[in-house]
Amino acid sequence: MADQSRKQKGISSLLKPYAGMVGLLLLFAVISNGLNLWLPKIIGSGIDAFNSGNFSPKHFIRLFAIAVLIIFVFSYLQNVIQTYVSERVARDLRTKLADKISSQSYSWVEAANPAKLLTNLTADVDSIKLFVSQAIVSIVSSVFIIIGVTVLLLTINWKLALAVIAVIPIIGITFFFVLKNVRKLFIKSREVMDWLNKVINESILGSALIRVINSQQLEYEKFLEANKKALGFGLSILRLFAALIPVITFTANMAGLAILALGGHFVINGSMTLGNFAAFNSYLSLLIFPIILIGFMSNVIAQATASYQRISTVLETTETTGAGLITSKISGDIEFKDVRVTYGEKPVLKDISFSVKAGSKVAIIGPTAAGKTQLLYLLTGLLKPTKGAIFIDGHQVEDYKSESFHTQVGFVFQDSIVFNLSIRENIAFSNTVTDESLEKAVSTAELKEFINGLPARFDTVISERGANLSGGQKQRIMLARALAINPVILLLDDFTARVDSSTERKILANVHNNYPNITLLSVTQKIASVEQYDQIILLMEGEIIASGTHNELMHSSPEYVQIFNSQQSTSNYELQPH
Amino acid sequence: MNYNLTKPGVQKEKTSTLSALKSLLKLITDEKKNLLLALLAILTNSAISLSGPFLIGYTIDNYVQKKQYNGVLLFSGILLVMYLVGLAASYLQTNLMGGVGQRTLYTLRNAIFNKLQHLPVAFFNQNKAGDLISRINSDTDKLNQFFSQSLLQFVTSIVTMTGAGIFLLVINVKLGLAALIPAMMIFIFTRILSPWVKKKNAIKLKTVGGMSAEIQDSIGNFKVIIAFNRRDYFRKRLEESNRKSYTTSIAAGLANTIFPPFYEFLSSAAQLIVLTYGVYLIADGQFTIGLLVSYLAYATYFYNPLRQLAALWVNFQLAMAGWDRIAEILSLDSDLITVPVNDLIIKTPASLIEFRNVHFKYPDSQEILHNINIKLEKGKTYAFVGPTGGGKTTTASLIARLYDPTKGTILLNGKDIRSYSDAERTHKIGFILQEPFLFTGTVKENILYGNDRYNNYSNEKLERVIKEANLEKLLSVFDNGLETFVLPGGDSVSLGQKQLIAFIRAVLRKPELLILDEATANIDTVTEKLLSKILDELPKETTRVIIAHRLNTIENADEIFFVNSGEVTPAGSFSNALDKLLNGVRVS
Repeated sequence: MADQSRKQKGISSLLKPYAGMVGLLLLFAVISNGLNLWLPKIIGSGIDAFNSGNFSPKHFIRLFAIAVLIIFVFSYLQNVIQTYVSERVARDLRTKLADKISSQSYSWVEAANPAKLLTNLTADVDSIKLFVSQAIVSIVSSVFIIIGVTVLLLTINWKLALAVIAVIPIIGITFFFVLKNVRKLFIKSREVMDWLNKVINESILGSALIRVINSQQLEYEKFLEANKKALGFGLSILRLFAALIPVITFTANMAGLAILALGGHFVINGSMTLGNFAAFNSYLSLLIFPIILIGFMSNVIAQATASYQRISTVLETTETTGAGLITSKISGDIEFKDVRVTYGEKPVLKDISFSVKAGSKVAIIGPTAAGKTQLLYLLTGLLKPTKGAIFIDGHQVEDYKSESFHTQVGFVFQDSIVFNLSIRENIAFSNTVTDESLEKAVSTAELKEFINGLPARFDTVISERGANLSGGQKQRIMLARALAINPVILLLDDFTARVDSSTERKILANVHNNYPNITLLSVTQKIASVEQYDQIILLMEGEIIASGTHNELMHSSPEYVQIFNSQQSTSNYELQPH
Repeated sequence: MNYNLTKPGVQKEKTSTLSALKSLLKLITDEKKNLLLALLAILTNSAISLSGPFLIGYTIDNYVQKKQYNGVLLFSGILLVMYLVGLAASYLQTNLMGGVGQRTLYTLRNAIFNKLQHLPVAFFNQNKAGDLISRINSDTDKLNQFFSQSLLQFVTSIVTMTGAGIFLLVINVKLGLAALIPAMMIFIFTRILSPWVKKKNAIKLKTVGGMSAEIQDSIGNFKVIIAFNRRDYFRKRLEESNRKSYTTSIAAGLANTIFPPFYEFLSSAAQLIVLTYGVYLIADGQFTIGLLVSYLAYATYFYNPLRQLAALWVNFQLAMAGWDRIAEILSLDSDLITVPVNDLIIKTPASLIEFRNVHFKYPDSQEILHNINIKLEKGKTYAFVGPTGGGKTTTASLIARLYDPTKGTILLNGKDIRSYSDAERTHKIGFILQEPFLFTGTVKENILYGNDRYNNYSNEKLERVIKEANLEKLLSVFDNGLETFVLPGGDSVSLGQKQLIAFIRAVLRKPELLILDEATANIDTVTEKLLSKILDELPKETTRVIIAHRLNTIENADEIFFVNSGEVTPAGSFSNALDKLLNGVRVS
């Protein structure tokens, strides 16, 4: 319960910056609702006046019309403010979330799950928006009306009033029990919906595979299973509501009956006027709706609270980056010292130590899942070592200020990541890129011809996930992106996998000529392209099996020789002069 | 065929609410019986709640005013019985009507998903995944909210309103007509403003969809954002779409805001009319006080649901806007239809695959393949080499019929490839895609994905099969073997591991033709040797098409095709191909 109140406080604290607008909103709501309470009174006294023969239509119409007009103006204003406040809360919350997420580390984002973060930014923000736009005003004005009606009824006839007011606790308690169960079901149905959405998402992202395998039916069955569950939960929730609403109506009708039987008695024995009797009926209808509204809004609040909690955990995480202060220019000496990385129980890298001299070229080769990519991730700070440290120019990677560090280390990722932006924006992705360095990067990556052949050249927009580019084109754009920052250290992750040999050869020669002092770390499968490198590191199952130059390894490492032989026949051809 | 859903100009004319509703109602024809029962319950319930005020008015006139308390008690008793019946009817109405809503939603979701499964790859390439996902998730959710929360209220409101309207007119025509004048104004006002409101909401929905696509693009590629120190990029792009979504949401919100206060205003006006005109009629002797009290109640019964309808109308419009966007998908049809067998059949023996004057272009782009004529024979190994962007993947996609040629024909075993059913064709042709895709689940689930033959095999049996196919070494890179859990996104599995799974998956399907589109690009060469050994040991009638940059993977090919600038030409010997590759002028 204490926990509950903390959460509640959380979501209302969200409104603090908008206190002025919320206050205005509530003020307008109270004014229009207050006047609404007055209307049955005007009608009642009109009937009484008519009954006693001194009814003045002019006075009555004027009074009524003024009240109605004021209600109109204020409820319209209330609605306008409501829209602005809720949208502003949503917008600011999204900005806050985006700021927070954007200052987190990669491993944090991976752990938090990008899909969940997307939900935080969309569905969760929406449910909070609903809370602001509907729940706050509804609850405040409902409470106001309930209290107002109660007071008015009591002043008219307290005995009859007590009979009518009895509906409040009855309806309240029914709501409490039903909603408690509904909420449990909601949580479960939400899980089913997540599952359902996952099936949809995977069927969209894997659409090509599904068509190649002709597994549409299989996907449909998966979906059907989830959808059936969703239907089941929908129906269970429905059954609860099906019980709730009739009970409320029945209770309200009973109150109406009480007014008739008891009120009729009072009118007959003269202790109540007919006008007041009519007013009682009108007030009853005014009373029921707010009670129902509070009930439904408690649901909106519960959902918003859950959403806000999820958002809060994101907003409250401590920033995982930005501790480093070193901004000096690096020269490129790299050292790994006893670096261990574990995912859960499983070690990915086991006490790796090696060093790379500035300006030298180093290749990392090894089988799939040996931990090669992780080595590069460690160097860029995308991954933190579980144990040990990585030094660049004698300082730990995390001691560098990321702004200056990342403009000196270029990374070409293994998987093609291009953004739905123009080619220029994709290549000049870092904002330190000048036209000159862009030009140099593009020609180094052998992209000039390709880009010039495009209708809009550099301004051609790449479609989402680069669907309009070939694998090699994407790869070369990624290389150009990394080179465009004029990096001191260049990290290539299996760069040549999707680029044909002749282009690859040209590109590597270009890199050598255009960026002569660059420190190059290349994860690769092809020995032929790295034979001349200063150092080749052979990584297997997270351990360095051997390291040295090509010639050294050919003499010392049987594993290396095996890899070499596996590529030998081809290398002969590749070395053929032409 | 153009499948782009967001392209301006391609969009259909905006459908009216009514026709959107009609097409939606087609989905629920099975529910007729339940709908009828629900309507019956709704009618009973409404009749009871509507006759309540009348009976109360009658009691006031005949017993309260005449001071006969027994009559008051008698009618109280009658009302009590009625209310009890109402209790039951109202339970039934919610249960039945809500059931209809839930089942409709279920049918609808199935229809959408089914449609998605029937659309070709082109559809997914032409639309942003983020936008599609949002369209399907959030738009069905809008419908969900409508069906599970608003539909019942919507129907009961209409029924109650109609009933109350009838009562108003039956009790006193003149007063009734006067009381309904504001309702007419509401009707006209709503009709005039609805299209505008709907448009605003549609624009809003679209920007919201754009925003989720934006977020997905950025969060999904977070490592690039970090490595290039462009955290501001994420912020800026989100800020931009956030701002857009804010402006359009405000515009939609303000449009939606118009209705409720206006309805309230007019319903109060109706009360005023009833009172003043009613009093005038009573003074004239045409009406009674008791009737006036019940009349006021009927006016409330008429205008309260009307006000509710205003709120529901917004939901309804939202749901219809969502439905419009979904209907756009539902109205699309696959252009990859199965055609009847054409008797142009070539004499046997036919090639396994033959391209006849094949041309291909993607919508809105230049022609990618020009007049391709090639033959692939059974049991041989073919290699497609050539520079990046030359058309290798496109050629392979045509063989697997992910697309149809724009011109020309592709023959499979001498028959038009389009005359095979999907099941037949995919059974014969295996295609390992350039970008491997995994489903959330275990390695086992992924390698048996869509495999009818081994689907029910236990781990032991499956391991035996894997061993027979020489695949067991490949599984050793997974910590828990077959039971290793994998996720489609993220870095829990390396690209090389994904390619291994895709490889095993395709080989276990035992296709007649296996296409490898740079399928081993990120696998180390030692393992790759193993893979090519596995390929060699496939049944000898299996045809292999290998697309690769690494030359060692293609050196054993029987024939090499050089694919460049939209032409596919036989390259002759391996060294000849190499020469072409090394000297070839690239035209992209």
